[in-house]
Amino acid sequence: MLRYVSAALVAGALVGTTAYSASGIRLQTVDGVLIDPFQTPSGTKAVVLTFVSVDCPISNRYAPELRRLYDRFASQGVLFRLIYPNPAESIDTIRRHLKEYGYRGQALRDPRHELVKIANATVTPEAAVYATSGQLVYRGRIDDRYVNPGLQRAQPTRRDLEDALSAMLAGKPVSHATVPAVGCFISDFLR
Amino acid sequence: MTFETSRYIGTGGPGRTRPALQVISWVVLTIAASARVTSAQGVPTFNKDVAPIVFARCGTCHHPGGPAPFSLLTYGESRQRATLMAQVTKSRFMPPWKASPGSGPFVGQNPLTADEIELIQRWSTSGAPEGDSHDLPRVPQFHEGWQLGTPDLIVTPSRPFTLQAGGTDVFRIFVIPVPTSTVRFVRGLEFLPGNPKVVHHANIRLDRTVASRRYDDADPAPGYEGLIAHSATYPDGHFLGWTPGQIAPLLPKGMAWRLDPGTDLVVEIHMQPSGKTETVAPSIGIYLGSDPPERTPVMLRLGRQTIDIAPGDASYTITDSFVLPVDVEVQAVQPHAHQRARTISGVATLPDGTTKTLIEIGEWDFRWQHVYRYVAPLRLPKDTTLAMRYAFDNSATNPRNPVLPPRRVFWGQRSADEMGDLWIQVLTRDSSDRRTLVDRFRPKVLAEDAIGYERVIQSDPNSIALHDDVAQIYLELGRADEAATHFATSAKLKPDSAAAHFNLGTSLAVSGRVDEAMSELRLALKIQPDYARARNNLGGLLLQRGRANEALDHIREAVRLEPANIEARTNLAAAHAVLGQFNLAVEAIETALRLNPTESVAGLLRLRREAYKQGVLPAR
Repeated sequence: MLRYVSAALVAGALVGTTAYSASGIRLQTVDGVLIDPFQTPSGTKAVVLTFVSVDCPISNRYAPELRRLYDRFASQGVLFRLIYPNPAESIDTIRRHLKEYGYRGQALRDPRHELVKIANATVTPEAAVYATSGQLVYRGRIDDRYVNPGLQRAQPTRRDLEDALSAMLAGKPVSHATVPAVGCFISDFLR
Repeated sequence: MTFETSRYIGTGGPGRTRPALQVISWVVLTIAASARVTSAQGVPTFNKDVAPIVFARCGTCHHPGGPAPFSLLTYGESRQRATLMAQVTKSRFMPPWKASPGSGPFVGQNPLTADEIELIQRWSTSGAPEGDSHDLPRVPQFHEGWQLGTPDLIVTPSRPFTLQAGGTDVFRIFVIPVPTSTVRFVRGLEFLPGNPKVVHHANIRLDRTVASRRYDDADPAPGYEGLIAHSATYPDGHFLGWTPGQIAPLLPKGMAWRLDPGTDLVVEIHMQPSGKTETVAPSIGIYLGSDPPERTPVMLRLGRQTIDIAPGDASYTITDSFVLPVDVEVQAVQPHAHQRARTISGVATLPDGTTKTLIEIGEWDFRWQHVYRYVAPLRLPKDTTLAMRYAFDNSATNPRNPVLPPRRVFWGQRSADEMGDLWIQVLTRDSSDRRTLVDRFRPKVLAEDAIGYERVIQSDPNSIALHDDVAQIYLELGRADEAATHFATSAKLKPDSAAAHFNLGTSLAVSGRVDEAMSELRLALKIQPDYARARNNLGGLLLQRGRANEALDHIREAVRLEPANIEARTNLAAAHAVLGQFNLAVEAIETALRLNPTESVAGLLRLRREAYKQGVLPAR
């Protein structure tokens, strides 16, 4: 828990120093603090917003992979934020989920789908990668493990999110800007 | 690690009547659901149109605490997944039913109609409205826990298994002893997954030997991964398994199977990691009956263990067949294959040339290993050909290929290997037909098993257990030379084992290699001088060679060591007779007869006694 508190404080202290254009939206952290999801400390090279939900089995199965990517890229200036777009999921539920699945990175609620609309996210899990310019660099699946909800590969053959981050950090273009993701539909959460 | 049983629960109570009522209410609901679809006009609502389908077709698994990952019983729960429901019903991923139309009808075969699928699409695209609360049918009640009533015995692993958060599917075999000191007759088993979010299916076999327990003991964590022992089998021709939403009904009176003291349940569990570390502690409820079986089914198995698929081969096919020597009724089938299988087909061709589809699966998914039980048994006359044909795709374009880039793949029980079996449960008219069927079928399936063992031995050449297992199979098949080859390897791997030399000596004797046999038996006796059966067999061989005095010494010693050994007494009689001591021979036979031999052995013993009484040697 301490990590989230301190992350929020750091973000709060750095208001105005971010290179991102302000989105104008404020989302609630699990500590009840409102922050701009694009606000970042200096030195940040990219922001990864991953849309997740608590009882979507496909979303949950990606927890170990998201942890692996965090461990690989967080130290290289990539900021990871988890976005919970289901208004039915309370702060307490989200806190428990973060702990159970060992997620890393800051968690934000997006109950009115403000960020969902900006990022054009459609399912959980889905990732949106933004460059320091505020430009969307990649949006879509984490990897190709799921062909559809009923067809799963034993292991992924393409790791789209990892490839996008590696390309970006190496100053190369990202090969596919968007790749459809498989999972639970976010639009169903807001009916 | 071997499991202990943690609980022993007394005789089951009156809860048994519940499942029958439940089945009836399901049927009613199903009919109600179909009727409603046709009446739906305009924008469908949850309460009026969708809930009846969800309650009847999805609720069995998708209820709180059920085997599905989430509940769908309330409007709020369904609404949050409306688009997903529309997507997976349209693709027919849900409800899970892999068999193509044309086979069956099977128990539980309940696919959505095209109208129902269309209705869910329209509901989803119209904003998934709730509708009038007066339209909502009564929400079905699902009670958690045992669906077949309180079991008479409950066994659980002594320690739960910890499943890692990520990675590929895990197949693990748990060996659980059954706490019974007397012979019991079992009418059914129910499997409670313990953690339904990760437990995908279970197959249960029985092992009356210690073989499975040894495999389990060799792995320090609960359960083990790898081979299912040859001695772990489906009991008396009955399937024992569990897939979500599928509970095998209790067997009718007269169909129970026998459970002997000292039997272990061998429970193979397929688990899919959930994203977090999970604890898995299944339990198995055993329902007992008081009567021994009057009819025992036979489990037939078609399939090939010669599987050898080149990397990239997208249409490797195996076929197998068996001609029925008697009339049968097919009760159920279970196809089994791993991840590269694509299409599965089982067909019966009757003597008049007509064909009946046993099972047809157009897109095999190893995650849904159902037992398909026919609503009405399929009657097949004598001389019907049962045939199977499975196709495999070992190319890189097969999304289910577990090894990329593809590699050459052989038959094997590990999930990265391949298998292709069609289990067929049949009933015969009477026990004489059953015997005829088993006698015809068993050599076929044993010969296939031997091929599988030879394959596994190639990759694990130093496993004594594998060599011993396959040697036993060869002995039963009458292929004593091949048995001797494998027993010889065991003896080489474990030269200090008297049993290994005894096995080798005995198989050599069966294949007529008497001199080699005698020298192995002498080796066994050098290691363990009080090895009664080795003495007896050596005595028998010496007698064959006309060395009766020498033989008598060994056989006398065998009788002294094991006074109740009927074979040793019979050999003693034979040795005395060869030496002209017919009174002693008659006396030895009479002692053997008092040792409760089986009726067929007793018959042979009486014939010998008559010959000895007349002072002649019986014909061999």
